[in-house]
Amino acid sequence: MRTVLAFRTILPTFMYHRPSSLAELLELKAKLGKDAAILAGGTDLLVDMKMGVKRPPHVIDIKSIKELHVLEYKEGSGLIIGPTVTLRELETNSLLKEKYPVLWDAVRKIADIALRERATLAGNIANASPAADSAPALLVYDAKVELTSVDGSRLVPLREFFTGVKKTVMKENEVITKIIVPEPPAGAKGEYFKAVRSAEDLALVGIAALVANPNNPAERVVRLAYASVAPTPVYVREVEELFKKDEPLNKLIKEAVNIVLSKVSPISDVRATREYRLHLVKYVTAYLLRKLLGVK
Amino acid sequence: MAETITIRLKVNGVEKEVTVKPNERLLDVLREKFYINSVKAGCLRGECGICTVIMNGKLVKSCLVLAPEADGAEILTVEGLSRPGKPSVVQRAFIEKFGFQCGFCTPAFIMAAYWIVENMPDASEKEIKEILNSVICRCTGYKQIIEAIKYAIELKKQA
Repeated sequence: MRTVLAFRTILPTFMYHRPSSLAELLELKAKLGKDAAILAGGTDLLVDMKMGVKRPPHVIDIKSIKELHVLEYKEGSGLIIGPTVTLRELETNSLLKEKYPVLWDAVRKIADIALRERATLAGNIANASPAADSAPALLVYDAKVELTSVDGSRLVPLREFFTGVKKTVMKENEVITKIIVPEPPAGAKGEYFKAVRSAEDLALVGIAALVANPNNPAERVVRLAYASVAPTPVYVREVEELFKKDEPLNKLIKEAVNIVLSKVSPISDVRATREYRLHLVKYVTAYLLRKLLGVK
Repeated sequence: MAETITIRLKVNGVEKEVTVKPNERLLDVLREKFYINSVKAGCLRGECGICTVIMNGKLVKSCLVLAPEADGAEILTVEGLSRPGKPSVVQRAFIEKFGFQCGFCTPAFIMAAYWIVENMPDASEKEIKEILNSVICRCTGYKQIIEAIKYAIELKKQA
């Protein structure tokens, strides 16, 4: 953590831009690059500016760009979420609750209602905090991020998007234009377990678990992803392969927990120690797997 | 940068055009241009909720909304809920159930309570508590606040 000016009350000055089309936004971003911060919900950006962590000379408010406010689902191809869609819009969407329960569960556990009315899913991802609650949920659904610049668009799997604490593969001239969440495996259920002291807290550890067809090894899908256990959100690829084996579930759960523990590297900070985080990872992973796989 | 922007706001039913700097917050505009002093500056980072207002029907923290972002918005604060001598249902419930101690957080809690009463008439205690996560009471007098909100829901149903 950098030393911060916690007592700053006036935000640093900046030029405010409010483009009304995507083309206009891309032109601005091409011209201004890293000097321009994107403002969607502002619940991270304005806090960082207040704390002196960020001082962007330009702020681009993307909320007037109608084409970015998309939330649509197509059977088979999945869900498309535009970058100005708020967490509250997702939380109150009955289709999301039914089709993407892990993502819905994670979204409703972020901060509090007043922040969720402003904060966006794309912002949660772009901010690239290791503690981003939506990231593990999006990782178990194998979400893709569409990045667009004046040079065109590219689709990046979220599993390759994060490169470090608050660092992503995004280039200076790129903006997030879509988050695409593919159709989940048939019958998939799951949840996001957020270990916290109080509801509005950041996750001490966040665990997203998705399970489909628990009783049929060939068709079985088990996916796990984590927040607050490493410099980036972590998807544990090996777990899905492991659970294709036709072996007793109890044995597989033990092996899965060991694999997960070898893939995470939590730190000690003001919110929890490394040891406590590892303890949570170990026991909550086993608890969630037993629950979702129907093992006593 | 001396850039200024003219925005139009409707606050408690009164529409006004004001000139703002981009780095001013909705909170600053409400206090300094509309003289709404119930909306207070606390942490200024979206944690304490003391600056909570209803913006276009939504519960938001006015410290995390830039003034230019509020252009065209309709804002409701505790001043807009009642006329002098005629408290609203929510305000009456807070008075009768002692839903405040020092009073510092009360305008914010009243706005959260108003939002609940208007939008979640069947809210359970658990749901009320979830919404109240967004505002911190420094005196920790939550019990009476929750009682007041439950009572306000009853009053509203009777009316």
